[in-house]
Amino acid sequence: MINEPDSRDLLTEARQVLLDSLVPDLAGEQKYQALMIANAMGMAIREIEQRAQGEPEATDRSLSQFLAGHRLPDAPSQGEQTLARALRDRRLDGDDPELRSVLKGMTEARLRINNPGFLK
Amino acid sequence: MSALADTFSNFVVRQSGARSARVIQFSKLSGGAIQDNFGLTLELDGGDRPGRQEFVVRQDAPSGVAESLSRPEEFRVLQAAFGAGVTAPEPLWLCEDAEISGRIFYVMSRASGTASPRQLVKGDLTEDQRRHLVRRLGAELARLHTVRPPMDSLAFLELPAGNNPALSRVALYRRYLEEIGEPHPVLEWALNWLEDHAPEPGPTALCHCDFRTGNYMVDGDELTAVLDWEFAAWSDPCEDLGWLCCRSWRFGGDDREVGGVGDKNDLLASYREVSGADIDPAAVSYWEVMALVRWAMIALQQARRHMSGEQHSLELALTGRMVAQMEYDLLNQIPELEEGQ
Repeated sequence: MINEPDSRDLLTEARQVLLDSLVPDLAGEQKYQALMIANAMGMAIREIEQRAQGEPEATDRSLSQFLAGHRLPDAPSQGEQTLARALRDRRLDGDDPELRSVLKGMTEARLRINNPGFLK
Repeated sequence: MSALADTFSNFVVRQSGARSARVIQFSKLSGGAIQDNFGLTLELDGGDRPGRQEFVVRQDAPSGVAESLSRPEEFRVLQAAFGAGVTAPEPLWLCEDAEISGRIFYVMSRASGTASPRQLVKGDLTEDQRRHLVRRLGAELARLHTVRPPMDSLAFLELPAGNNPALSRVALYRRYLEEIGEPHPVLEWALNWLEDHAPEPGPTALCHCDFRTGNYMVDGDELTAVLDWEFAAWSDPCEDLGWLCCRSWRFGGDDREVGGVGDKNDLLASYREVSGADIDPAAVSYWEVMALVRWAMIALQQARRHMSGEQHSLELALTGRMVAQMEYDLLNQIPELEEGQ
């Protein structure tokens, strides 16, 4: 089914109206709330964009490869659970560059949605 | 509101021994999801504090947070800190009779200035003023940390398990992660690192545990009051120093390690001058890592409050999405510390 403009487009336009037309007339608590709404909409927009670019599957694949390489059980959508458990149980070496790289990959993928400006 | 103002005014009249009082100003102050703060300005006739007096009345809000101190406990912590010479609001009178206003409350003196982090960090303070302020922060913490257990009036504060604040925090945060029930591999990894690298505990002292930019008032370049004592605990003094320097509390002033205001060397030098204690900068760095984990825990708990339906709130929901920032800082900061060793 074609239903256009799509949700990304709608959210982007709605956010722009909020920022350009409404926020300038607001002050104090109301301005703060409007900026929070714009922030939440920005995250939703970026989440849609990231999905179009193959996330979270790409990050999940890296995690699956890491788990397989360390003989840890993997099941769909359970990778993070497995990794967290293995770390809690001290079954992984915290200094392992490969582990750190997987952790960083997952965190960067989240930040590309939640707050890309935070990435250095 | 005016009935509440009269209630508080009458209470102050009785406590101060004044003949009467006139309410000049009464308003709810911003900030504080856990408690309500009211500004109350009175003209008092006679008694201990005659004339125009500015007070803050602090009482429990309808939704409390289990982790924080009750108002009577907070009042006693404030008395201990004030008694040790910390620039805190003077705790004046505690009302434990909930019949009077509907809730337990206490009255303290009101400080001048602002606690706004933006004004402070982005403000036009000179380098000398910044250094002066950072030195004040070090001196305040040094005075606070002279309060040591045991103290009868603070018997409600538990001592850290095994007399090791760092390891007891690690155990606590692992329990929190279990309770939250959401996998966070980066936090698990960081907790392992914190367990493996815990420094020898310093002396156990009264710690504020939320001593950061945003929780102290500044008028010009003078610190006028350290606020928000509800998380105070017996802990390692480095926990307060680390929390103050944590990357999350620099409000955009990233290169100024002490709360976005100034330099850590000035903080530790002033702390040493007042306390006589030479703090190992590595221990402060360690507690900065702990601070990132702690703030992540708080953010996760706040998000849970929203997601469970206990308190629907966009602000709480967005706080949950901030956890990746703390995780990112952990992934950068821990290797930096390792390289520095």
